[in-house]
Amino acid sequence: MELSDADLIARVLVDDDQHAFGELVRRHQSSVRGLLRQLTRTDIALADDLAQETFVRAYKNIRSFRGDARFSTWLYRIAYNCFREDARRRKELVGVDEEQLQAQHDPQTVDAGLRHDLMHALSLLPLHERTAVVLCCQNGLSHDEAARVLDIPLGTVKTNVLRGREKLKRTLAAWGPN
Amino acid sequence: MNAMTDDETLDRQLREAIPYIDDDGFTARVMVRLPAARREPRWVRAMILIGLTALGSGVAYLLSGGGRFVREGMLQLSNFPIWMLLVFAFGCGLVIGAFAVIVAIRKTPEVRDLARLRF
Repeated sequence: MELSDADLIARVLVDDDQHAFGELVRRHQSSVRGLLRQLTRTDIALADDLAQETFVRAYKNIRSFRGDARFSTWLYRIAYNCFREDARRRKELVGVDEEQLQAQHDPQTVDAGLRHDLMHALSLLPLHERTAVVLCCQNGLSHDEAARVLDIPLGTVKTNVLRGREKLKRTLAAWGPN
Repeated sequence: MNAMTDDETLDRQLREAIPYIDDDGFTARVMVRLPAARREPRWVRAMILIGLTALGSGVAYLLSGGGRFVREGMLQLSNFPIWMLLVFAFGCGLVIGAFAVIVAIRKTPEVRDLARLRF
């Protein structure tokens, strides 16, 4: 019988069982790495470094996980904090900010196929809208959960999701056949 | 590219667009970076607990004059009427049961969330 996340967390807490934590990493690595790839605009190496940092921090702070939210939501929050800290550090080091990165993206280079169109259109959204759309629309978090992950008001999450969706629809419609 | 008709369709297509990322050694790399286990294994803690309990019991036995108070207590208890013993046992069961339920609710998020529901 497969153990639940709660069972595995209990094993980590009681026995400091690193194999149990390894199983948690295996279960959630795809979604956490996927989220970070979206946030870093498909910079796979950076996203994976941040994902590793996310899981190491999760292990070190697992005693602060109270079980109020899903384990994945808690992981997303740590991942988002790792991303934000890294972005701040990079901005200070090389002066590259979100707007500059966004300007580097050329919509003409979009790949064929719905999946690629969607992912590319998603990567063109501003960070705050992209993050809200990825968490709520793609990863199935409720607005309330996303507000907790991003540490912003519920109303802001709803607005960002709404605007992000509208922009996605407009972009995809513009790329579509006439 | 088909035009997006509604939010539900867009959300569904977004979910379907997420590729599953193969582990490909990722978990192993994380495990290498984890700090060493901080606590002793369960059996060590169990041995410490049992040892301390045995030591405490031994000290209490010696200090009470070879467990004289336990024998006297048992003799007194045997003089009680049977119905009083049953009531006493039932009361103890209720108190321990209530305590166990409270602890279980506090430790189980699903049950705790259920207890918070308003009907």
